Amino acid sequence: MKFLRTRIERLGSGVLETGRAAVELWMVYVGTVAGLFRRGKNRPRGELARQMHAIGNKSLVFIIVTLGFIGMVMTYEACMQLSRITGDYSQVGSQFLRLIISDFGPTLAGLMLATRVGAGIAAEIGSMKVTEQIDALRMSGVLPIDYLIVPRFIASLVMTLMLSVIGATVMYTAGGLTAQYSFGVNPNLYFDISQIRPRHVILMVIKALSYGAAIPVVAGFCGLRARGSSEGVGWATTAAVIGGSFAVIILDFLISAAALFLTGGDL
Amino acid sequence: MTARAFVEWKDVTKAFGGKPVLKGMSLAVNKGEVMFIIGTSGVGKSVTIKHLIGLLRIDGGEIWFDGQRVDTLPERKLAPLRKRIGMVFQSSTLFDSMTLAENVALPLRKHQKLSWSASLDEARKRLEQVYMGEYSERYPAELSDGMRKRAAIARTLALGPEVVLFDEPTTGLDPVSARRVDRLIRELAEKLGVTAIVVSHDPPSIFGVADRVAFLYKGVVHVVATPAELKASEDPVVQQFIGGKSSGPMETPGF
Repeated sequence: MKFLRTRIERLGSGVLETGRAAVELWMVYVGTVAGLFRRGKNRPRGELARQMHAIGNKSLVFIIVTLGFIGMVMTYEACMQLSRITGDYSQVGSQFLRLIISDFGPTLAGLMLATRVGAGIAAEIGSMKVTEQIDALRMSGVLPIDYLIVPRFIASLVMTLMLSVIGATVMYTAGGLTAQYSFGVNPNLYFDISQIRPRHVILMVIKALSYGAAIPVVAGFCGLRARGSSEGVGWATTAAVIGGSFAVIILDFLISAAALFLTGGDL
Repeated sequence: MTARAFVEWKDVTKAFGGKPVLKGMSLAVNKGEVMFIIGTSGVGKSVTIKHLIGLLRIDGGEIWFDGQRVDTLPERKLAPLRKRIGMVFQSSTLFDSMTLAENVALPLRKHQKLSWSASLDEARKRLEQVYMGEYSERYPAELSDGMRKRAAIARTLALGPEVVLFDEPTTGLDPVSARRVDRLIRELAEKLGVTAIVVSHDPPSIFGVADRVAFLYKGVVHVVATPAELKASEDPVVQQFIGGKSSGPMETPGF
């Protein structure tokens, strides 16, 4: 009986803690959005440029390499399967481009950024939390969200979109070269953009902006929840990577489902 | 005395993760007084002072400052309070990405609404006062612990607070720097009438600087006394603590 009671109590406290965390995450998001409309004076000088460099420029090689290789592997696999069935490669490039623009480009870039950028933000804010620098900020009359999360939020919005476009371009080009040199696909046939419609580009922009908004908010929230010492920072970093990746996948699903619904399945 | 206390904790309770830390803790501090809060690690000393400025929220009880109840103030209304009550944290808590002058300028800019250049000029003057003027353009990572602590004190004092909370101000400092910090605390009280509430484990500080000492034990204030009264106390728990004895009646969780 006591065992059962203990289990129920643990389950209850787990549910309560999850609910509390969800409310806190929501408050961080609302605070961040509200911070966008407060005066920029609350933010450190030059912080936006620093964050754009940290999130964007420093992730560029990572995004190019990972998405380039994924593009090569995916095209190779697609051509391989086609060679076994029909041997007709005429649709490979145009269909791959459609997939890249409406999904793979922003989502894979988002996942990569959730790991690299999310971990960095959570570690930095988490370290500030456990060394009481966040408390010192509050004592200095500064809202930690305005000071730490808002500049990262703006930088992430801009840079996730730009890296998604760059990543998608690299992915498509790497796939085209693979198709040409491994299967002899004519580049004029592969690099065919006739199937792309404005709705695909709009979907890409919406997804990239959504991921760009979610990653710093989730990572900042995890950093602000860090407790104790280095172990707490480690927890925050891990939670930020998991939470950020999870957010990207869930948002991808929701946005894709909404797009399919709105277009009547003709995406 | 309680009715006229400048700062007062009344029957305060606080628990973390279901584990009670403060269990009805009460303490009154008079204006201009240097009050030391002592006790074993994890007994809730830092937690106690953080409640006063809303960095932590109490579970029960009341906290009063200068005739105003402060534990119920929402975060947005705490700024005026944090201007009147400063805190020197255990670690220096300087922001790594800013120079010392920029660190000290930050609260001046936010609380006193000074321009960036005016706040930097003022910050350099404040750093001069703690003999750190020549390091004003250096970053915290380039300096020793003692220098960082002095800069952190300059940042706290920049706003001219009426109460300063010191969280283990001498921990990690060499004996000379530690005694300088002690002297600074004493001078603040005597020359400027600042009320100092100091969390400390350092016996030379406790017996050299304090007007009164509050000994926190088992989540409540076990005794409040002058340093001389504390030394003369026959309470075995107090004697074990101030004597630093490993064996005795004192319960120390984790050991």
